[in-house]
Amino acid sequence: MDLKDIFWLSYRDLNEKKVRTALTIIMVIIGVAAIVALTSFTAGINNSITTQLESLGPTAIIVGSIGTAGFTPASVSAVSSLPNVTSVTPLLTGSAVLYAGNQNTSVTVVGTTAQGLQQLIGNVSLYQGSAYQDTIAPDAVVGHSVAFPTSADGKQTITVGQSATLRLGGRGGTTVTVPILGILPAIGGLLIPIDTGVFVPLQAAEVLLHRLSFNEMLVLASSTGSVNATASLITTIYGSSARVTTTSQLASTASSIIGSITLLFGVIAGISLLVAAIGIMNVMLMAVMERTREIGIMKAIGFKSSHVLLIFMLQALIIGVAGGVAGIVVGATTSYSLAAVFSGAGSTSTTTGASASTSGSFRSGGGSSGGFSGAGAAGAPSGAAISANTSSGISFKPAFPLTTIVAALLIAVFVSLAAGIYPAWRASQMQPIDALRQL
Amino acid sequence: MPKETSKYSVIATGVSKVYKMSESLEVDALTAVSFKLKQGEFVAIVGPSGSGKSTLMNILGTIDKPTSGEVYIDGIPTSKMNGNELAEFRNKKLGFVFQSYNLITGLDAEKNVELPLMTASLSDSDRRDKAQKLLVRLGLGERLKMRPTQLSGGEQQRVAIARALVNNPALILADEPTGNLDTHSGDEVIKLLKSICRDGHVTIVMVTHNLDIAKYCDRIIHIKDGKLEKQEVLA
Repeated sequence: MDLKDIFWLSYRDLNEKKVRTALTIIMVIIGVAAIVALTSFTAGINNSITTQLESLGPTAIIVGSIGTAGFTPASVSAVSSLPNVTSVTPLLTGSAVLYAGNQNTSVTVVGTTAQGLQQLIGNVSLYQGSAYQDTIAPDAVVGHSVAFPTSADGKQTITVGQSATLRLGGRGGTTVTVPILGILPAIGGLLIPIDTGVFVPLQAAEVLLHRLSFNEMLVLASSTGSVNATASLITTIYGSSARVTTTSQLASTASSIIGSITLLFGVIAGISLLVAAIGIMNVMLMAVMERTREIGIMKAIGFKSSHVLLIFMLQALIIGVAGGVAGIVVGATTSYSLAAVFSGAGSTSTTTGASASTSGSFRSGGGSSGGFSGAGAAGAPSGAAISANTSSGISFKPAFPLTTIVAALLIAVFVSLAAGIYPAWRASQMQPIDALRQL
Repeated sequence: MPKETSKYSVIATGVSKVYKMSESLEVDALTAVSFKLKQGEFVAIVGPSGSGKSTLMNILGTIDKPTSGEVYIDGIPTSKMNGNELAEFRNKKLGFVFQSYNLITGLDAEKNVELPLMTASLSDSDRRDKAQKLLVRLGLGERLKMRPTQLSGGEQQRVAIARALVNNPALILADEPTGNLDTHSGDEVIKLLKSICRDGHVTIVMVTHNLDIAKYCDRIIHIKDGKLEKQEVLA
C-alpha cells in the first residue's frame, strides 16, 4: 500500500473533524510555544550578559561605593598603585531625562574618561560617529537604546551631529544642551547601563552632576590569575564602604540565576507538553472508537493491521508537525513581545518605581535599587551596584539558536507520536468481526 | 484437499462454531455444516434469527474462524491463515455487501470503490478508471463524486456492490443486502446481483430471511439451530 494513500486517508480523517483537529493542534502549539518562548528568552538574557561581561573582559573588577562619600581622585590613584592593577577608570553616574525632538527618554548619565568609555564597550568601534575627548565640554555619546528607543519601535530618533537637551535633578532641575558625537553599538544594560546611558567626559559630568566624587571604579587587573587577589586586596582597603565585584563573580551569579529560571521554565513547558500528550491520546482514542466500524470495514476489505496502525500514527505525526511548526512561530512572537515588555519598561518616559525594581531584580546586588531617581541619590546607599539609580530596563534580544528550533520540533513530533501509539495500536488490533458487530 | 476443489468456489466441510460464554456454558452456533458451491452460483442462506446463518457468513468471509472444520475458497483452505494473510486473501478473493451498506461516509462513491484497490499495486489512474467503469456499469455514472449521505439507499447499496466487485473476487458475501431497502430498490439490487453471477464467474452467497428474495437464487440453504436443515435447488 502506498504511503501516499495512507497519508491521504489520515489527512481526510483529520480534515473531516476540523474543530477537533484544531483544538488538538493548539494543545501542541501551547507546549511548543512555551518551550521556544522560554528558552529563547533565557538564551537572550544569557547572551546579553555574556556580551557585556565580554566587553568588560575577564580581568575587570567593579568597585562600587557604599554610603554617600564616594571615591575621590585620591582613591583612584591609590587603587592604581596596587600591584597587578593595569588601569582604574572612575565612573560618575546620575539619572536624567534626555529630550530630542518630541522624544523624551529616561537615561543614566555616565561620566567617564575617553579611555574608560572604550574599556566599557570592549574596545569595539562606535555604531555611528566618534567618541569624545577628555574635556569639560558636555559632548555626549549615547547608548544604542537611547538613539533607537523601543517607544519609537526601534526607529532612530537621535542622529549624530544633532543636539539634545539633558534635564538633571528631576522636575524643575537644570537643563543643559549636549551635542551628540556618537552612538554606541548595542551591548546590553544588565551590569552597567550602557545601552540606556548618555556618556559624557568625566569633567563634564562633575559639572553636570555637581559632584567631585565617583560612584564606581572600573579596575582592570593585569591577568586573570591576579583578579581575585586584587579584588580581595581592594575589599580589605575599603571594607564596608565599597562593594567589589569581579566579572567572573557576576558571570557565576548570572548563570545561577539563569539556571534557576531555565529550570522553572522547563518544568512549566514540560507540564504543558504532558497535558498536550494526554489530550492527544484522549482525542485519538475517541476518534478510534468513533471509527470502529470504518476500521472493521477496512479490515474486511483487505487492510492489514499495519495499514491501520500507520493511518493513525500518521495522524499523530501530522498533529505533531503542525503543532510544532505553529508553536515555534507563536513562541518566537511571544518571546519578542516579552523582550519588548521588559526592555521597553525602562527606556520610555513613563518609568515608574515598579519597572525600575523589575530591572533591578536581575542585577547582581541590586536588591535595593528600585525606586531611586534624581541626581541626589547618585551616591547610592546600601549595596547597589553601578546601576543603582539607572533607568535602564533589561535590554536584550531573544535568541533562537537552530538547536532550539530543531529540538522544539522534534519534541513536538516525539510527544505526539508517543501519545498516538496506544490509540493507533488499539485501532490496528481491532478484529473486523467485533468492529462490524457494533451498530 | 479434496480433488474436486477446483470446480467449486466454496467448500465447507464439517464447519462447527462453539461460543464459550463462561466456564460452564457453551453455545453451539454451528454444528458440522458441510456444502459445496459451484462457481457462478447464486445461493441464499435462510433461517430464523439466531439460527447461525450470520456466524456461517462470517466464517465464509474469513472474519471469524470455525472451532472445527474447514472452508476452502477457490480451493484454498482458510482456517490456518493469520491476520495479515487473511486480510490479503479477503482483498483478492472476497467481496462484502452489508445490510447497512457500510460505506465510508467521508469518501465519495468513487473513492469508496477504490478503497480495496489501495492495497494493490495499481497506478492512481488505473484505479480511478476501474472504479469509474464499474460505477457507470451499475448506473451510477452521475453519482461518482457524491458522498454516501447524498445517495439514496439503493444507490448506496450499488456503490457497496461495486466496492465488492472491484477486485474481481471469487466470492461475494451479501448479508441481508435488501434489508434496509424498499421493495423496488430491493428488487433492483437482487437483479443486479443475479446479473453479476451470470456475467462473471463470481459466486454470491446471500443471507436473507425474505423468502420472496431467496427465490431469485439458484439454491437455498436452510439453516436451523446451527444445522444445515435442507437445501433447495431452484434453477
